[in-house]
Order: sequence, then C-alpha cells, then structure tokens
Amino acid sequence: MKRLVLIVVAVGALAWPALAAAHPLGNFTINRFSRIEVSGPRLYVHYVLDMAEIPTYQAGRIDQRTYAQRIAANAHLSVDGRQVTLVPLRSALAHPRGAAGLHTTRLEVILAGPVLSGRVSVSYHDNNYRDRIGWKEIVVGSTTPSTSHELRAYPKDLLQSPLDRTSATVSVAPKPGRDIPPSLSSGATLEAPDRVADSGFAGLVGRSHLSALVILASLAAALFWGAAHALSPGHGKTIITAYLVGQRGTPRHAALLGVVVTITHTIGVFALGAVTLALSQWIVPETLYPWLNLVSGLLVVGIGAAVLRSRLRSRRQQQHAHGHHHHHHHPTPDTLSMRSLLAVGVSGGLLPCPSALVVLLAAISLHRIALGLVLIVAFSAGLALTITGIGLVAVLARSTFRRIGFDGPLVRLLPAASALVILAAGLAMTLRAVPKVS
Amino acid sequence: MRRRLLIAGAAAAIAAAALSLGGAFRGGSVQAAAPVAPTRIADGVGLAGSGPGTDAAARTIKELQAQLRANPDDVRSYALLGLAYEQRARETGDPTYYTKADGVLHRALALEPRNLLATTGLASLALSRHRFREALSLGRKALRLSPTTALTYGIVGDSLVELGRYRAAFRAFDRMAALKPGLASYSRIAYGRELLGQISGAVQAMQLAVDAATSEREPAAWTHWQLGKLYWSGGRLNAAEHEYRAALATFPGYVYALDALAQVEAARGHTAKAISLERRAVDDVPLPQFVGLLGDLYRSQGKLTLARRQYALVGVIQRLLVANGVKTDLETALFDIDHGIRPRHALALARRAQADRPSIDGDDVLAWALARNGRCAEALGWSRQALRLGTLDALKLFHRGMIERCLGHRAAARSYLQRALALNPHFSIVWSPVARKALR
Repeated sequence: MKRLVLIVVAVGALAWPALAAAHPLGNFTINRFSRIEVSGPRLYVHYVLDMAEIPTYQAGRIDQRTYAQRIAANAHLSVDGRQVTLVPLRSALAHPRGAAGLHTTRLEVILAGPVLSGRVSVSYHDNNYRDRIGWKEIVVGSTTPSTSHELRAYPKDLLQSPLDRTSATVSVAPKPGRDIPPSLSSGATLEAPDRVADSGFAGLVGRSHLSALVILASLAAALFWGAAHALSPGHGKTIITAYLVGQRGTPRHAALLGVVVTITHTIGVFALGAVTLALSQWIVPETLYPWLNLVSGLLVVGIGAAVLRSRLRSRRQQQHAHGHHHHHHHPTPDTLSMRSLLAVGVSGGLLPCPSALVVLLAAISLHRIALGLVLIVAFSAGLALTITGIGLVAVLARSTFRRIGFDGPLVRLLPAASALVILAAGLAMTLRAVPKVS
Repeated sequence: MRRRLLIAGAAAAIAAAALSLGGAFRGGSVQAAAPVAPTRIADGVGLAGSGPGTDAAARTIKELQAQLRANPDDVRSYALLGLAYEQRARETGDPTYYTKADGVLHRALALEPRNLLATTGLASLALSRHRFREALSLGRKALRLSPTTALTYGIVGDSLVELGRYRAAFRAFDRMAALKPGLASYSRIAYGRELLGQISGAVQAMQLAVDAATSEREPAAWTHWQLGKLYWSGGRLNAAEHEYRAALATFPGYVYALDALAQVEAARGHTAKAISLERRAVDDVPLPQFVGLLGDLYRSQGKLTLARRQYALVGVIQRLLVANGVKTDLETALFDIDHGIRPRHALALARRAQADRPSIDGDDVLAWALARNGRCAEALGWSRQALRLGTLDALKLFHRGMIERCLGHRAAARSYLQRALALNPHFSIVWSPVARKALR
C-alpha cells in the first residue's frame, strides 16, 4: 500500500515538475541585485536579495528590519569621493517555493541616498555576502533592463557565466520632478513566479512573442498539462469513480461531471486569484488552501452521507416490495439526481491547483490577463478530460461486470459500499485538513 | 592567429588540469566523496578569494565564449569550454558550472559524436556526480577512441575503484603512470598504495605529485590537502597541518583545507578555533560532511541546540540532493547511523548503497549499519570485506573492533580498537572517545 502511494506521488511529481524547481543557480547561492536610480533630486538604491534553499534554511526566521539595516550598512556609496550613508526606507519579504518542499527567500529593500545638488560622480560598492557564491548584478537607471529580470529569471545561455558585478561608478544628475521613492514588488511578482515559469505550464505565459501558432500550442500544452495534472493525487478521482459506480451512472453522467469540474475549477482559480490580488497585503494563498481543503472534505462527507441514506432507504423499499411482486427491480431510486451530481463535480473542482493559480498571477503581473484566463480554461478542460475519462472507464467497467452476470449479493452491495467509500474519503480529507486550519 | 594559438594553449592547459583531477575521489573516507548541490562538486573544490578575471580558468572561459559566439560550430572550443567550466566549478564550488559543462560537452558531441575531449569530459563529469557506472562506460568509450591518452586511464581507474574492482583499477593507474608521469598519475599511485595499507609509500608518491604541480593553483592546493590527509590518517598532526596551510596559501579559502584544519584544531582540544574554521567552510560551500562535523563540534562543547540545528541542516541538504537526482545513499546512511537517526531505515539505505557501490567504503558502511542494528554476526562478514585490501583506516578498524566486541570476541576487539587508536588517536570527534572507553 505504502509502495503504491509512493508510486502515485512520484507520478504526480513527474506530471508537475514546475513547482518543485530547484533554485536555478544551485541550492546554496545568495544572489544580489542593486538598481541605482534618481527620482527628483534624490538618489535611491533598489536592493534585491535572493537566497536559495540552504541559506534560507540556515537563516531561520528573517527579521526584515535587521536585514535591511545590515544590507544598507554594507552597501557603500560615495558621492564625489565622499562616503554617504544609505537609509533603508521600506522592505518586502517573500518565501517562494524551492526544491524538496523547501523555501527560498526574496527580500527587497528601498535604500534612500543623498539629495543631489548637481551632476556628481557616484561610486557604489556592494559588500553584502562578499564571499558567498551567487549572481551579482548592478544596473543604473530606473528603466535599464536587468539580465536576470531582477533575480527572477536567470539566463540559461551556455555561453554566459553567472554575472559577478559588485561595483559601479557612474555620473548622475538630479531630475526634474518630485522625489518619489521607487516601489517594491508585491504579490505574485514578489513571489517571483518567473522562476517557476522556467518549465511546464507556467512557462507558457512568460513568452515574449505571441504568434497565433504559439497561442495555439500554448492552449494545447495547457490542455495536456491539465490532463496530466489530474493524474496526480487528489482531484476527487476516487470519489467520482465510486459515485458513478455506485449510482449506476451513464456515460452521459460522466461527461456532465467533467463539465461541472471544468467550470468549478475555472471559477475557483479566478476567485482565488481575485482574492489573492485583493488581499495580497494580508494573506497568502497558502493560508487559504487548508480552508478550501476543509470545505471540499465536508462537501464530500455530505455527499457520501446522502448517497448512503438514499441507498439504505431504497433497500428498505425493495424489501417491502419483495412481499408483493418478485423479480422486479426498482431502478427509480438509483437514478442520479442533478443536485448530487453537481455536488460531486464541485467537490472535484473546488480546490484550485496551485500551479493554475501561479499561471493566472503570472499572467496578471505580465499584463497578459486574457491569455492567462484562456489558458486556465484550457487547463481546467484538460483536467476534466482526464476525470471524465476515468469516470467513463468506471461506468463501462461496471456495465461489463453486469453483462457477465455477476449478480450476486456482492454486486448488489456495491452501491452501498461505494457510498461508504465516498464517506470514508470525505472523512479522510476533512481530518487531514483540520489540523492545518488554524 | 598568434592570439588564437595563445588562447588554445591556455585552454588546453586548463583542460588538462580539469581532467587530471576530474574524478579525484581520493578522500580516503566515504565522507570526503560526499556530493553537494544539484551536481556534485569534486573533491578539489575551492573558493576563489579573488574576483573574476584573475584566474586562468575564468579568463579562458571568457575567451572561449567569445570565440564560440563568433563561430558556433567550433567543436574543439566547445569541448575545451566544457572542461574549463568543470575546472571553474571545482574552484568556485558553484554547481551552475557543472550544468553548463554538461550542456556544452553534449553540444560538442552533437557536432562530432566521436570527439575524444568531449567524451572524456563527460566521463569526468559523471564521476563528479557519483554516476560511476556511467563514468566507466564513457571512459571506456574514450579509450576506444584513443588508447594512449593517459588521463582517460585515470578516469577509468577512479570509476573502477568506486565500484570495488581494485585489481583492474590499479592496472589502469599503472598504465596511466607509464604513459605519462605527473601530478595526476602520481596522486593515483598514492591512492592505490593508501588503499593497500602502504602509508609511507603513499606519502612518497603524493610528495612527487606535490612537486609535479604546475602553476594551476587549485590542483596544487588539492595535492597539498591530500598529502596532509595521508599524514593525518597516520596521526601526524603537525605534518598534516603544515600541508593544509600550504594548500590554503596556494589557494586562499580552500574549503577542504579549512575543514581539515578544523579537525586538527579539534584534535588538539582547541574546539572554539575548530568551530570558527568549520563555519568558514560551511558558509562557503555547505557540504553535508562539513555541516555534520560542525554539529559534532558544537555537541562536544555541550551546545546541543546549535548541534541539532546543524544535524537538521544535513538532512535538508540531503533532501535537496535527492530532489536533484544525486545519489547520496552511502553518505546519508553513514551520517544517520553515526547520529542514531532512524537506524532501520539507514540500514536499508546502506544495503542499497553497497549494492550500487560495492567498494570497501560501501562494505564498511553496511557493516557498521548492521552492527548498530544489533546484527553483528552479519556485520562481521562485511567488515572482513571492507578490510580485505589491508587498508589502514582508523575508522574502519574501529568499526571492526566494535563488531568483534558485540560478538563477545574480547581479544580481537581490543586488538582492532588498539590498532585504530594507535594509527590516529583523533580519528573521529564522536568515536575516538568511544574507542578509548571500550578499551578501559
């Protein structure tokens, strides 16, 4: 049994490697980026620190303020040869997912420099984590492109070594206009989805050129990823199969279930995306997931209980009927009610896949919302395709069994047993979700 | 034209350096061959204290990159660049360079499937990643392309050693030394002698390797470190320290020398000094064995919280390695057994590791895992296997002593434990005291 679980998990990991992507520069790098820019009369440094899994683990709890002060102290700036101090203004911290279920760190700090009186020569030297391996980049100017996309996407060019720039000397002048500090990244951009975007589904929105062919290919790929993703654990496959088998479902029911899953999943991703964007200051999507798990668990328990009750009732009716006329089966109580079918579909699609959410948020951060939405629909459709397929297999397998004529007491018990399976699965989901909700 | 020739010359020198120690596993113990990060960093890891452009490998890389951008079909430059990346990985400890090396070497082979340099480069890369069978088959392929290239025999021999096929391995090393005496072949001869328990012969050969070192700093530092380890395994602390310091002088910040010096300081009872050295090594390149030793040092000082943090970090690093497809069964098994972590699971790991790497190290770890799980009779057979070459390794002798003791063979136990302590009274922070106590 344990072995089977392992295999299933392994297949799931294969189907979805993107979220388990290791830090592209190795697991113990500490990467640094500085953007020197002038806003109105003042000089600013936008500093980004990206720590891979091992240094993140070593750091333990990160106190933003302490880190910001240390970074400021080790970023040496001199104006016309005179040392000036940098003052940390604001900071933002996120822990994007890394390999092996570990986290990485992204800390952004806005450092305020001096007010410039005229054209001056500025020399900047980043002394933070001097001996640590990592990408070191400095750019000058608020719109100058960064090779690593500000430590979000490291170039994979085989003919390029990791950047190693720790100092810069430039001539800058105050600009007309007001003194507005540069803004920090937030939400999905801070969570650096681009790093995840290196592979698989999530990579699709990051492309810079979008021809019709690319879009078509993206849609096909999204469909495929969705279908493959549905094979990973979860997604109510057990429940749907048990339900269809127990309730004498038809291929039509299986198809209907697929549609319901697609719609629910799409709506779920959109809703969670909207909530995440609106509340990104206060909550992270991860804290929502346990609640969603709990809700779908309870929903499944409800379905299981309802099915079981209807089975028991119909059994009692059958026993009553037995006294009057024999050899007559009652199909009526077994027909699927639209309501319970809907509930099963919803329970399968309610929990949005984190990867789908990442795609949506990435699309939004790249201002390609429409593409993101379409891709989510395609992804959900792929998901539904697999689930419908599994449902169909279940339905067909059952009818084959019946044709062969296994009409013993065991087969007659099957519907009740399937109700119990649903109930047990629901309880397991609920119990697993409860400790995480707190 | 002249400039091109100069670049080619420098590149060839670096390629030779990269290959000469490409699969250098002469750690003397399992732990020294522990991998790191997505791809394993070979034993010759060091951290360049200086910036870019000051190192020959870094300079050569720049030149070759520029050349390849201008002429993207240049097979030889791809192969040389791959080897230069491998050398850079060893110098900086940055595993990104291994990935890049893999990429350009494969590109070279795509352009010319029978390219000798690229095939040899991939063989040494496979060694660095603990894929010994793959390294052996690539090495043999390279030998078929050119049966007289000395460095290829070194790589083939290294893989054979890791696979426990010592007779064939030593033949390969002999052939290598006959074809081309030098740092690479002398250091392998030294390793062979060490395995056979001929420590003074090994020291002699390694001394020759030190003398043969060229201007490449990292291989030179590596030979000093190796010579130091030979002295250390015979308990000669001062001589060992002298070599470790020489390694650091040759290559500032050389992490393997920092770790080795920490062991010397710990043996002298200077635990605080040892901790500060080990922390430097861990900060630069967090190899699991460095982090584990740091934990042991903290524990010996009674700082249990700090020790536990390091042990947990070892677990984290190993999880990452596994997630990246690196085989670490042997190293993980030994660490877990030594630290009493899930002994039954560790035994299963050790069995798998021994099957995969049937070397004396694999045999020894399996023996120790069995003994710690109370299966001493089975352990004895594997310990005999582990000592079949007559290797004078204090840790292996100690394991044997404890197994004999567990079986009630008091005389044999005393003899093995005494031999271990006589060889090197400080062979392990954790186990030397245990050996002493068992003798009382």
